[in-house]
Amino acid sequence: MRVLYVVLRQTCRNMLHSWKSQCMTLLTVSLSVLIFSFFFLIYSNALHIGEKLGDDLRLIVYLEEEAAPPLQEEYRHKILKFDQVDRIEFVSSQQAYKRFEQMLGENTDVLTGVPVDFLPPSIEVYPVRTLDSLSRITRFSDYLQTLPGVLKVQYGKEWIDRFYAFIQLMRVIIILSGALLIMTTTFMVAHTIRLTLVSRQQELELLRLVGATNNYIRTPFLFEGALQGCIGASCGIGALLLLFNWITLRFAGPETISHMPFIFFDWPIVCAIIGIATLLCTLGSISAIRRFLHL
Amino acid sequence: MSQTPTTPSTIIDLIKISKTYHPDIQALADISLHVCQGEIIFLTGASGAGKTTLRRLISRIEKPTKGMIEVAGLDLAKLPRNKIHLLRRKVGTAYQDFKLLSDRTVADNIAIAMEVMYRPSSYIEHRTRTLLDQLDLVKKYSTRAGDLSRGEQQRVAIARAVANNPEIVLADEPTGNLDAETTARVMALFHQLNRQGTTLLIATHDRTLFEGTSHRVIELRFGKIRSAANESPENSDELIGELEEDLISQESEQ
Repeated sequence: MRVLYVVLRQTCRNMLHSWKSQCMTLLTVSLSVLIFSFFFLIYSNALHIGEKLGDDLRLIVYLEEEAAPPLQEEYRHKILKFDQVDRIEFVSSQQAYKRFEQMLGENTDVLTGVPVDFLPPSIEVYPVRTLDSLSRITRFSDYLQTLPGVLKVQYGKEWIDRFYAFIQLMRVIIILSGALLIMTTTFMVAHTIRLTLVSRQQELELLRLVGATNNYIRTPFLFEGALQGCIGASCGIGALLLLFNWITLRFAGPETISHMPFIFFDWPIVCAIIGIATLLCTLGSISAIRRFLHL
Repeated sequence: MSQTPTTPSTIIDLIKISKTYHPDIQALADISLHVCQGEIIFLTGASGAGKTTLRRLISRIEKPTKGMIEVAGLDLAKLPRNKIHLLRRKVGTAYQDFKLLSDRTVADNIAIAMEVMYRPSSYIEHRTRTLLDQLDLVKKYSTRAGDLSRGEQQRVAIARAVANNPEIVLADEPTGNLDAETTARVMALFHQLNRQGTTLLIATHDRTLFEGTSHRVIELRFGKIRSAANESPENSDELIGELEEDLISQESEQ
């Protein structure tokens, strides 16, 4: 306990001694975490929305003629050979007619005189609702088109393509903001600790002369880096939460937004972001100590 | 690391020590010195004679070019860098240039030596006040070290050196900036520590400190021991007896 108390007091002294650069570092770490977590929040919500929209996602494979049970098995086998699917449903011409009739409701009289088998039989393929399956859906569609007896394959191509492009863009932004986070945290913390080391050179030399262990001298700087990471990341996440609440309150009215299931990060993700930022800052601190603290 | 002293009573053992600085400046040449526990040794000599170099070698700030040094049972040649604190905790040093943190208070400057040993705050405060009282600096407890006179700074440096009750105290010109009365106070503190068993190695130009004393006086000249007056008594009890007499006479003079 005594050791921890002494080390923490030394850390506080270090931080107070160079409070201006400490504030700058905290601000930089906070902003980096805010930028990264902002895009990550958009990405995770987009995935969530994608899953919801994917509930209605299906590929409709129109067939030239009704598939007999052996042929159905063959189709099933070939489809499963290409990709995992949630389920496969075979719809006969009569079933398609009935559905269409139900859809028309009171206007069924428009079907008067139309043969019951005027709609082609089809296979409804429901892909597994993951982002990977979404990204492969075009290739899946192309593959289904090559199956024997297939007239046409239909799916919500346009929105899937747009959605997939958006997700790809978000991935790039997250990678870039993640790189920014890594660079700023490690560089800024390393820089601040280097400044502290230089400004306290005389004291560090004295500590060695009066019998301080290497750990006694080093540990406060490690704590300093870790504290900068932890406080900075907490501020960044706090700012994101405020922004999130503001956005959800501000845009609560419009129907499009209110139907979107926007959610904030779960606690484990919040803890992981703070933990990673703390770790990065500690690494920055270690690199500064290794380069500039010669014991 | 377990190392044993050369003999039970030897606390500093220098065997044929030489120190040469780049390019070819010989600071010390073939110095051999054995210091017994509880001794007071005055090291004298002109500037550049090698007093400070000797002090730096004993506290492992530098390594000798040749020879072997054992201090408080530690062979300094075999002492790794990450274990130097073991030596420094046994050797308190009052530096000629004080090495005080000018932006910190007097109390902070003294406390720093005890903080590295994780002493409790209450002990640190009590010990600091006691030392400042002995050195007539108690009123300066919260004064910034940078605002003190040189004589006061010197006393703070001495207080820091002795704060941990080290086995050995190395004092480099400890009374160089002090008046007679303050010099007597510093010497009284040194003798009090010596009475408790501390070995003192005092480098000084001030002949009044050792004139008429029974302690060993070693004169360095051009990096060599020129003369050694009052050779070390063989019997340590005899030595302690002499030291006690010294202290009593000092205190009665005050």
